[in-house]
Amino acid sequence: MSPVRFADVSVGDELPTLTITMTATLIAAGAIATRDFMPVHHDRDYAARQGAPDIFMNILSDTGYCSRFLTDWAGPDAMVTRLAIRLGVPAFPGHTVVYTGAVAGLSTERGVGVVDIAFRAATDLGDHVSGTATLTLPLDG
Amino acid sequence: MKGEHDVGDETLDEQLQALIGQPVGRGGPSVAPDPVNQPMIRHWAAAFADDNPVYVDPDAAGHSRFGQIVAPPLMLQTWTMPTPVLEGIAERGGSPVETEGETALSVLDRAGYTATLATNSEFEILRYLHVGEVVSSSTVFESISEEKQTRMGRGRFVTWVTTYTVEADEVVGRQTFRILKFDPTGTAA
Repeated sequence: MSPVRFADVSVGDELPTLTITMTATLIAAGAIATRDFMPVHHDRDYAARQGAPDIFMNILSDTGYCSRFLTDWAGPDAMVTRLAIRLGVPAFPGHTVVYTGAVAGLSTERGVGVVDIAFRAATDLGDHVSGTATLTLPLDG
Repeated sequence: MKGEHDVGDETLDEQLQALIGQPVGRGGPSVAPDPVNQPMIRHWAAAFADDNPVYVDPDAAGHSRFGQIVAPPLMLQTWTMPTPVLEGIAERGGSPVETEGETALSVLDRAGYTATLATNSEFEILRYLHVGEVVSSSTVFESISEEKQTRMGRGRFVTWVTTYTVEADEVVGRQTFRILKFDPTGTAA
């Protein structure tokens, strides 16, 4: 991890792409780590009875991956203060989910640098999630 | 027929508007079964291959802006998830615990909006949590839209806001969650 310095960030800077090849293991692991025991996230037979082709990623995992995408770039001194996502197509095993984003705004307030980011996570079927986030960075970092 | 629908809609709208500001679910605030703790944080970080050292490395965290280990901010919702009763969870439609009687959403189910699609999740994080803190959450309805024609069919957007607190009622974050309750057959009243 090579943290960014607020002074070096510009509007339009692109975050490093995060690519996740989704597997049943990742989906089940994310669901249980977030304490979400809904069977559609670990039981393929149950998912099929609900009309889904397979188990699919839960929303708490979506927000988990979003925060990883942000701090993989921004580093350990970043504080995520806002995350707003719109939920799109589900992510199933075998799908590749590609997180891309860019800096949409910069400001300073109360002694920290504020970075606004617009991002999306796309699969072959369309956007899995899209949204905006805000994180803060130390000004002297 | 149309007149009956109009009367029905008014009654339903009144019922729905009465829910605004009311708790979602029963039994008051949810209290985390366990305080914020390193094992659950490590489990979470491994699940998402998140190698941010402030979550698991005391030395790195101590030298960071946070000064100590902090919980991943988007773990906020995880702490107050109920300890599940796994037996019968499929028969309960995935509900982690037994629920009894009427919930606010039953009103929508009865009106024909039986299907559910989550559409938005938004978090505001006021500060990161520390090991040992006990999180509570309380959730109220923020808004229920008028009926809208959507790609999924006729439905209403339901928005609730969860406020997360720690000891002394300090608010550490809020989550706004929106679902579409819709009629999969296209004939909701």
